[in-house]
Amino acid sequence: MVYVALITGFLLILMGLYGALTNRNILRMTVAFSIASTGTHLVLVAVGYIPGRTAPILDGAVTAADASLRIIDPVPQALVLTAIVIGLGVTALMLTYAYKLYETKRTLDISKYTDLKW
Amino acid sequence: MIKKFVALLLLAGLGLMFVGLLLGFTPDQVLNTTASYYADHSVEDTGAANIVTAVIVTYRGLDTLGEVTVLFLTATIVSLILTQPRPSGTPIIGVAEKKALSSGELLQTGTRLLVPLVLLFGVYVFVNGHLTPGGGFQGGAILASALLLLLLSDPTKRFNHRLISRVESISGILYVVIGVLGLVLAGGFLDNRILPLGAFGTLFSAGAIPVIYTLIGLKVGAEFSSMMVTLSESRDR
Amino acid sequence: MVSTLFIIAGGLGAAFLLGLLREEWRGFAYGVTLAALAFMSWVAGSWLWAFVFDGAVGVDVFTAGHNPPFAINLRMGLPEAVLVLLVNAMGLMVGVYLKGTLMRLGRRAMAVLLVAVLALCGIILTRDIFNLFVFIELTAISTAGLVLLSADARALGAGFKYLVISQIISILLLVGIIFAYHATGTLNIDGMAEASVALMKGGTLAFFLILMALIVELKPFPANGWALDIYESAHPAFSALFSAAFSAAMLFAVDKVLLIGGEPWPKIATGVGIVTFVGSNLLALSQTNDRRLLGYSSVAQVGLVLTVIGQRAVLGEHYLFVVGGILLAHSVAKAGLFWVSGLVVERQLSAWAVLRQNPFLVFAFATFMALLIGLPPFPGFYAKWELVHALVSEGRLALVVFILFGALLEVGYLFRWFGYIIKREASVESAMSKPVAFLPRKLVVIGVGVVSAWGLGYIWGALSDFANVLQALPVLFALSFLALEGLPAKLKNTLAIVGLVAFFAISYENYNQLQLIFGAIILIGGAVILLASYETHGKRIGFYPSAMLMYAGLAMLIVAEDSFSFFVAWEILTVGSYFLILRGKFSEPHALSYIIFSLGGAFAILAGFALAAGGAPRIPLEALAQVPATLAPWVFILLAIGFMTKTAAIGLHIWLPGAHAEAETDVSPMVSGILLKAGLFGLMVLLLNMGKTQFYGVELTYVLLWIGALSALLGNLMAIFQEDAKRLLAYSSIGQMGYAVFGLAMMNHLGWLMALMFVINHYVYKSMLFLSVGGIAKRTGTRDMYRMGGLIALMPLSFIAVLIGIIAVSGVPPLSGFGGRWIFYNAIMTADARLPMILIFLSGPVAFLYLFRLIHTIFLGQLKDEHRRLKEAPFWIVVPQMIYVVFLLGFAVFPGLALRRVDAFLNPYFPNGGLNWEGLTISSDFGYWSPVSIMITIGVIFATLLAWLVYLNHNAQKVKQFNIVFAAERPYRPETTHFAWNFFAPYRKALGFMVQPFVTQFWDGLTGSLHHTAQFTRKLYTGNGQTYAFHLLAFVVVVYLILVGGLV
Repeated sequence: MVYVALITGFLLILMGLYGALTNRNILRMTVAFSIASTGTHLVLVAVGYIPGRTAPILDGAVTAADASLRIIDPVPQALVLTAIVIGLGVTALMLTYAYKLYETKRTLDISKYTDLKW
Repeated sequence: MIKKFVALLLLAGLGLMFVGLLLGFTPDQVLNTTASYYADHSVEDTGAANIVTAVIVTYRGLDTLGEVTVLFLTATIVSLILTQPRPSGTPIIGVAEKKALSSGELLQTGTRLLVPLVLLFGVYVFVNGHLTPGGGFQGGAILASALLLLLLSDPTKRFNHRLISRVESISGILYVVIGVLGLVLAGGFLDNRILPLGAFGTLFSAGAIPVIYTLIGLKVGAEFSSMMVTLSESRDR
Repeated sequence: MVSTLFIIAGGLGAAFLLGLLREEWRGFAYGVTLAALAFMSWVAGSWLWAFVFDGAVGVDVFTAGHNPPFAINLRMGLPEAVLVLLVNAMGLMVGVYLKGTLMRLGRRAMAVLLVAVLALCGIILTRDIFNLFVFIELTAISTAGLVLLSADARALGAGFKYLVISQIISILLLVGIIFAYHATGTLNIDGMAEASVALMKGGTLAFFLILMALIVELKPFPANGWALDIYESAHPAFSALFSAAFSAAMLFAVDKVLLIGGEPWPKIATGVGIVTFVGSNLLALSQTNDRRLLGYSSVAQVGLVLTVIGQRAVLGEHYLFVVGGILLAHSVAKAGLFWVSGLVVERQLSAWAVLRQNPFLVFAFATFMALLIGLPPFPGFYAKWELVHALVSEGRLALVVFILFGALLEVGYLFRWFGYIIKREASVESAMSKPVAFLPRKLVVIGVGVVSAWGLGYIWGALSDFANVLQALPVLFALSFLALEGLPAKLKNTLAIVGLVAFFAISYENYNQLQLIFGAIILIGGAVILLASYETHGKRIGFYPSAMLMYAGLAMLIVAEDSFSFFVAWEILTVGSYFLILRGKFSEPHALSYIIFSLGGAFAILAGFALAAGGAPRIPLEALAQVPATLAPWVFILLAIGFMTKTAAIGLHIWLPGAHAEAETDVSPMVSGILLKAGLFGLMVLLLNMGKTQFYGVELTYVLLWIGALSALLGNLMAIFQEDAKRLLAYSSIGQMGYAVFGLAMMNHLGWLMALMFVINHYVYKSMLFLSVGGIAKRTGTRDMYRMGGLIALMPLSFIAVLIGIIAVSGVPPLSGFGGRWIFYNAIMTADARLPMILIFLSGPVAFLYLFRLIHTIFLGQLKDEHRRLKEAPFWIVVPQMIYVVFLLGFAVFPGLALRRVDAFLNPYFPNGGLNWEGLTISSDFGYWSPVSIMITIGVIFATLLAWLVYLNHNAQKVKQFNIVFAAERPYRPETTHFAWNFFAPYRKALGFMVQPFVTQFWDGLTGSLHHTAQFTRKLYTGNGQTYAFHLLAFVVVVYLILVGGLV
């Protein structure tokens, strides 16, 4: 189970990066990066998973006393939240940039934005 | 073609590293030191039933403050970019003159029905963040989705930027103030024990966590809204 | 003490507060922003104060009231305090600088700036790896926002490229962090270090990914196209922040993370760093856009710091001193240069000539340039010294070579740029328009940069184990002229002369005989040349600080007792003389090649000293004698090459003719008569201490002998074919220095005596000749000899000076040159180097040819029509010449005054073969020399001949000058019909092959191929964001493969 999630996550990263490297369209690149970040998030939570355990929330089923034996690692879950939010921020920024870039040259082809080089 | 080949080659290299990581990976059987400390101590330390919340809001509160700042920053930059006058000489994009198509009866009525419920749900999610799955970010996102719904049903709708930015700023400032209070009154920056921890498992418990999560919820909601609103308004500028 | 957290809380609170303000209250919002930045700087500053003056120790700041690793902690120690102060102060300055832009864009832009600054502080302070990630992302996002402060529409593209890169970085970082967490069970960096992640399975790769992500943020070559694009297009104030503060914070992050450690990582840091340093500096050579050039330079400097970070173990307790010195120097200098670039409207490098309108800006540029290169007295200088010594003592010689090579490339493009500023026309447009008004606010910010630069220099000097360069009296004296720049030149000249003489008066008692000779030439001789400077009018801005800096360096050089102070003096005199040489009207390319050769030589000296020191921070110069035999030849070679760049030995001479010939009238004698002696002094120190040294069976002094002989012959040969009188004199210096080197290399008593005689003679007659030729050139408006002629009647004093001068140079009786020759021939007879001896003998008559030409074509022959109204050379230029004439005559009669002492000084070193100084006659094993009787004899002969000539003169028949027009040859250019044109054409036919510019071609080829490489390689940066992503991934994969392949 953990391995499935991990492998899926890694594959998503690679797929996303492939998309970002081969698509010239800025919007497609942005989407590709979203896919790759999703893969990263999957890897993140998968690493914290312990087979047979439950979510790190104390309630009737899991009490404070036996929590350390029953719950999975809460840290990656906390991290992934942060990572998701940050990823979202960057994506929003990329989209805004895409909009602005389109405004200047009327194209979304990244290979057209090479005024700066060498 | 060559580009794709090179891309595949490079990704194969990266994949090699991932394979290395996978091969070296053995799932934990027990919690590691950090995690078991949280499992054992978060109740007495923070009074939160949701350990993830305890980690997010208190133990790693600085991360979360940073995270909120990321959203703040993004929202700020998005509006900074989009409200900047476009370089002179570039034509206006899109079809500003054409009136937007009506979004349809179903969506409009549904919106009227759903928006209050969605807002309520959002508030519920962040207020109960220390007890149940969810929290400020999730609640904030839900709040913002209500706004999205409104925008979908009426794309030409205008929102009060000033209100949004006030909510955002005030909650942000209060968040920082609570953090500093933790430094002054309790053990450190963002320590939640500036308020009594209360009875475990109740709404008014876990010290400042619900307050912080409420502020985060409002702030995140406001930030998402601000981003969406600026993006949607930029279309017909 | 205010908690560190208030830096973050204060910045964040202010940023959120800005959101509350009305859009219209921009002034208020701006005030809030500056107040917040000032508050944050104050907190950082108060910590630094506490660490430095109150002896506070570093503290960990816990958040959330729990201990690490369970909660995030921040650390505030001395390095953190320095960097946080740097970041905040830089933020404040940028805030001030950006006032216009920020007011235009409103509170949002200000909030982004605040967040950027606090995020950088977070990167520096945090001890949690994931928290580090959060702050890095904050930095990345705020960068994407701040890039847009620029008015340049292309910045948008650059920002997007950066976002693409930062996406990949965050993926690598996150995957790395989570696996490192899995391996160690903690996110705390110190905790990870204890758990020694490298030992755990899977941890190595995780750490590799973390490190790579951080290193990629440092813009490693070649995966750094995105950064260059940002530098080129962003607002210069942001580029200043990006270069200075962002890099500093990220470097600290790398340093922090490297604590987690393991064997290969420091090597990777060093490897990536040095490739970046050399690669980026190389590519910078072919840049014409100022900001992109600064970008390349930034990237390179960061690479250097990364290199040093990787060498932490080698540096030991000096680590912070070295790494901090380089980093702070880079930060202040680069920020300063970017700020200056904001004042320049056009982007090509030569447009910076507009700075010339404000001397302060020129000074600022020079300060930042010296700070960046690491010239004394700036921190980089001390750091460079320590670094090279540490690396050499560990045997990392290849690394030292790369570092020095990269630094030399940097010297090349920065000094070339400085040359543009001083010499080029700004542009057609700005030349037409009225002087540019620079915004006072921006000037203040730049001023703060300049003050911090000098302040850092002082601090590093005080922190170093060595004497503080900024406390050396000569340096202070030279620098004080900067404050006096407003005074008229004549007043400053008096001060300078008084200063030189006074310094000689207070220090001559402590000089030994050798130092006395050099000291007298430098200080008294310098003062005499300065008499000629009374001729100039106005303020002559820039002349006195440069000249006095050169004299300061020279004065410090001769009293230097250990390797460090020698090297300090060497660099100071080099830099001072560069500024001096650059003042000449057409001397831009020559000054550049001078500084490149000189600093290249200085680096050789540095490496030589480091090799000799063998781990010690410095050695007394006498300890050169104790260098182990295995190293000795290498030390000898390095030092000798370094010194011979100054004496312009053949092969290293190409800078000299232009530099000396194009310099101002009173500067030529300084750089020729005095400056060249520094190289000789160095060689003397070297030979006195190391003596004869074998290198794979080759006697190195024998090689020097050959170099001296060849320099003498070829220098003289090249001199005879010059049309330009000052160039002729310059080439002749190469020859003269060749004699001196030859004399020293003979390693016997008389050889040295002759070399010292040359030191004195060469100073006198070369100064005199340069002054008289300079005076003539001033009157005639040309230096081409065929444009002159018949000036003897109009300029009798100059004629006398030249006549006496050439008699002295050519070594015919009765003047001191003959004494030199006499000693010289005696010396040669005691040595057994036949072949070089023949060369030396041969070059004697050659010297006579060009000297004859000098007097014949300038003073004799027919007067040109346009010269009929000429007057004698200006009074103040003639005065020193007459002093020299008197001195030469006196020295000719009583050479013993100076030489006796030298002879005595040489006795302990070369006990055999001294001269016998009895009465008025000097005798050796081979014969005797009686100056007085020679003088009388020659005087009588001269008087007789003169009388006879006067008697015959009424029979003289005038010859028309241009009658060769009717010869068989058809003139292509009018000057070719003049008898003085190509005066020695027959000799050229015979000997021309020896003066082909092979050496010049060699060096041109070398620099040319460097430029071509740069031109070709920089095409790598296609400008396509996707290509940059490829570069990044390829970079990571390649480093990984190198790592797996076990190459490090």
